[in-house]
Amino acid sequence: MRLLPLAFTLLIATILGLGVTWFSVTHSRGLDNVRVGSWEGWPRSGTSKADPYARAFVARSGELPLELADGLLFLATTDDAGNPLDGRCETRIVGVLPQARLWTLTVTDQDGNLIPNDAGRFGFTSAEVVYRDNGAIDVRLSPRARTGNWLPTGARPRLKVALRLYDAPFSFTSGADAAVLPRITREACL
Amino acid sequence: MTTLDDLRGEASEVAARGGRLAGRLWSRFFARLPRPHVARPRFVRPRLGTPGQLLLFIAFSVVLGAIAHIVSILAMPALAERNAYARLSELMDSNVLTLLPDPTPLEQTLPMTDPAFISAICLYDLSGAPLKVRVPATADYTSVSFYTSEALAFYALSDQAAGRVIELDLMTSKQKAALPEDEEITAADRLVIESPSREGIVAVRAFVRERGMRELVRRQLEAATCTPSN
Repeated sequence: MRLLPLAFTLLIATILGLGVTWFSVTHSRGLDNVRVGSWEGWPRSGTSKADPYARAFVARSGELPLELADGLLFLATTDDAGNPLDGRCETRIVGVLPQARLWTLTVTDQDGNLIPNDAGRFGFTSAEVVYRDNGAIDVRLSPRARTGNWLPTGARPRLKVALRLYDAPFSFTSGADAAVLPRITREACL
Repeated sequence: MTTLDDLRGEASEVAARGGRLAGRLWSRFFARLPRPHVARPRFVRPRLGTPGQLLLFIAFSVVLGAIAHIVSILAMPALAERNAYARLSELMDSNVLTLLPDPTPLEQTLPMTDPAFISAICLYDLSGAPLKVRVPATADYTSVSFYTSEALAFYALSDQAAGRVIELDLMTSKQKAALPEDEEITAADRLVIESPSREGIVAVRAFVRERGMRELVRRQLEAATCTPSN
């Protein structure tokens, strides 16, 4: 008669453990992260120094993560105030980028798929974007066409913005680097 | 001093004895109390009757759950069926450099690919011979990254570090040890990279500065090769 409670305990424990595993590989790209404003980066997640959570994430997602000597990926899913990035709102990304040979800024939906649009524009590169006089960028994410550096959002309820810095001379591995990345602010919602 | 210590010892003994006595009295008092009679349905046995049993159950579940979680996280790289290597091996043979189609909203060969880049992939298998990777410089930033079959990068190089043509030799540590010594001297400018695994992925990425240059960069990247040496 003690077998039933034991089986019940095992069942609960397995569901609990696998549930946490599922949650961690879908919601996190590894424990070893760096936060700058609302940007999150995982400098070591693609390398052989990656922690087990990063390894599990890479295996499940099917990505080929950037090597640190090649580039560095930062993701943002919220603005600086903590609101989730909403494609039905106007969001601005303003600021100076850290020194790097080049960078790219890409907008995707929350699953990482590019958003279809007539202009065929999915992001900006350091060569395409129009800079302000002080070298800062001012990119607008909006469902409707805007002047300046406009990225169409297709009115997706959730967005993910990827900033990739290539051949950057600094390293974020210590986490103590006070690197400054552009600020993300929400302007107005439709 | 000794008398003080003695006193202390005695005091604690008395306190302990008192405690025991109080406990005995307490339980005796409770034993005499009439117990409320609760009629339980006959066939339902309460599984987690006392709070102690419930606590034990929770503790057991948490510990076993933690074990299940750790084991599944560690086993994920070995068990995942749709990792980058599996996705790419559906598209190409090994030891051939293949250009990937540009990512579109409908289809991405690999998730989270930078759309500003043109990528070429070579799945390598070093069991036959070492691999020669040759990537001529394109119009802009070009990089070569090496991954194990579990998609963990172990080496990356960009055109700025390598010069006009990126030329690399990829081999296992055994093959590297078997290199003739004189050859190593004559090929001093050759970059030898040791692969931790026999199989893996070489990813060549070329940056497209402006969208109009896509075709040009694509043609330049077509000249890149990855071939087994000898």
